[in-house]
Amino acid sequence: MLLKTKKLMKAFGGLKAINKVDFELPKNEIRGIIGPNGSGKSTFFNLVSGVYDPDPGSYIEFDGHDITEEPPHKVGELGLARTFQLLRLYQDMSVINNVMSGYHTLVPYRFIDAVVGRKKIWDQEKVIKEEMMDLLSFVGLADYAEMNASELSGGQRRLLVLARAIAGKPKLLMLDEPAAGLSPVNVDNLMKILMRLKEKYGLTLIIIEHILKVVMDTCSKVTVLDHGEKIAEGTPSQIKDDNAVIEAYLGKKMDDEEMRKALAV
Amino acid sequence: MEKFKDIIRQYPFLGFIIAFFILMAIPSIFFTDLYQSHLSSLIFINIIVAAGLNIVKGYCGQVTVGHVGLYAVGSYTAGCMFMYLGASLWITLPVAILVTGLFGVAFAIPSFRLEGPYLALATLGGGEAIRLFIENGEFFGSTYGISSISQPELFGITFDTPDKYYYISMPVMLIAIYFSFSVLRSSIGRAFMAVREDPISAAASGINVKKHKMLAFILSAMFAGAAGAVYAHLPPGYIHPNNYTVIEMVTFLAMVVFGGLGHIWGGIIGAVIITIVYDLTRPLYEYQLFIFGLTIVLTILFMPKGIGGFIDKYFIDRRFKKKQAVADK
Repeated sequence: MLLKTKKLMKAFGGLKAINKVDFELPKNEIRGIIGPNGSGKSTFFNLVSGVYDPDPGSYIEFDGHDITEEPPHKVGELGLARTFQLLRLYQDMSVINNVMSGYHTLVPYRFIDAVVGRKKIWDQEKVIKEEMMDLLSFVGLADYAEMNASELSGGQRRLLVLARAIAGKPKLLMLDEPAAGLSPVNVDNLMKILMRLKEKYGLTLIIIEHILKVVMDTCSKVTVLDHGEKIAEGTPSQIKDDNAVIEAYLGKKMDDEEMRKALAV
Repeated sequence: MEKFKDIIRQYPFLGFIIAFFILMAIPSIFFTDLYQSHLSSLIFINIIVAAGLNIVKGYCGQVTVGHVGLYAVGSYTAGCMFMYLGASLWITLPVAILVTGLFGVAFAIPSFRLEGPYLALATLGGGEAIRLFIENGEFFGSTYGISSISQPELFGITFDTPDKYYYISMPVMLIAIYFSFSVLRSSIGRAFMAVREDPISAAASGINVKKHKMLAFILSAMFAGAAGAVYAHLPPGYIHPNNYTVIEMVTFLAMVVFGGLGHIWGGIIGAVIITIVYDLTRPLYEYQLFIFGLTIVLTILFMPKGIGGFIDKYFIDRRFKKKQAVADK
């Protein structure tokens, strides 16, 4: 198992944002997480990536390491990369610098070499830059490398965020609504790039997405959250027919008696 | 020209050696009186402070208004070491750098929890506290200041006049710039920028936010310490608490903002221009603060990235147009 959570819990005041979620993810899987707004999907990401501290009693394991109490940068160092719903691009940095800062944990030289400015580090910087340029051309942003990230369009920003997350060669990539706000053509394009990246880098993916087509097409398994609880897990076709899922999304189907009662009030 | 650029890029040290020889030659060609040498030394000292301030404020995005306190720590470490131990610049400079670096740690700690204007207030308090502590301490010469601090000697030459001291302040400045360039151009500089732009996202990329904030504060404090020590030994070797007030801080800030926050040349350009302007407007002493305040406000309004950003934009636009022209053909 690459990622495992046991009895994961997080409460904000009285609200249980995540309630006893057991989650297991083997290597090389593409897992979708769906659920209505406020069902705790993003909170789940924030707990796993260390942005939030989980409540006592929770346990998170990533690649054999207990990361329950680890700060976010430690989790990142272990090879768990993520993107954010609100992108969190480095607006005022060039596109290439955005991607290169994603490479931070793999930089081979030591701090003291950088301070002294040894020639070795400039050679290594050059190699890193070339590698990152390859990645940029892979997602189709090579022409914009020197531009400021704030000058990119919405679709390009999503690609850049993806590139930045992959720059650190993670084992697990968690994508928080990668296709939000994209046109259908761009969504297809993004998914194509994503699949190619998965193959190239051997990634394991977790995708939160509201566009169900994306989830149904790409994910091999889907986990459904509602009110912080895991209500279903299975292949996309199983999920489609699951009563609990339909209920969470569309509401309960009422019989005639219940309908009459509801209307009478 | 392209070839030359490539060589410089491959051997970054070379550019500094060339700059060293050019700066060595300047006094004998252009300078007509001692005051110009004195002013150049001041410019160099300000460049060191501004380059350091640019690391913590421009790159790491931590708004510190107490930097002048660190500068004072550097100066008074050097001053006191001379007063009590009779030490020369060769000893006081490294010690001042170390001591100021330690003070930098103290300034970094509030930045873990405070941001923006709140951090500015905390550091402002810290800077002023240092100045008041010095002003009221008998040990530090209180309001009399420390006078006739010795000038260093090397190879039998005593650098006791402004024109000779130029050759002390200039190499120190070049070394400081060299360090700042190599740090800011490496992955550490990128991590600083990432912390400035978005700490949460930076942490997700595996960048230790606290560590890098601490590093930025310590590095920039060391720069301030070096500048302070060089300033203390500047002929006639006199330091006074009044040289380290909020007014000086505003001047330093004006340098970094005007030169370009977060631009690698930012502090350097700003320090040169502002120091010269500061000197030229000495007769208008009452209006100086007003002028610098206005400079900061106008720069932020109309040129948010300062002169450095302005020049950068020109080059990027030109390159982009060239590319477009090629593509159109």
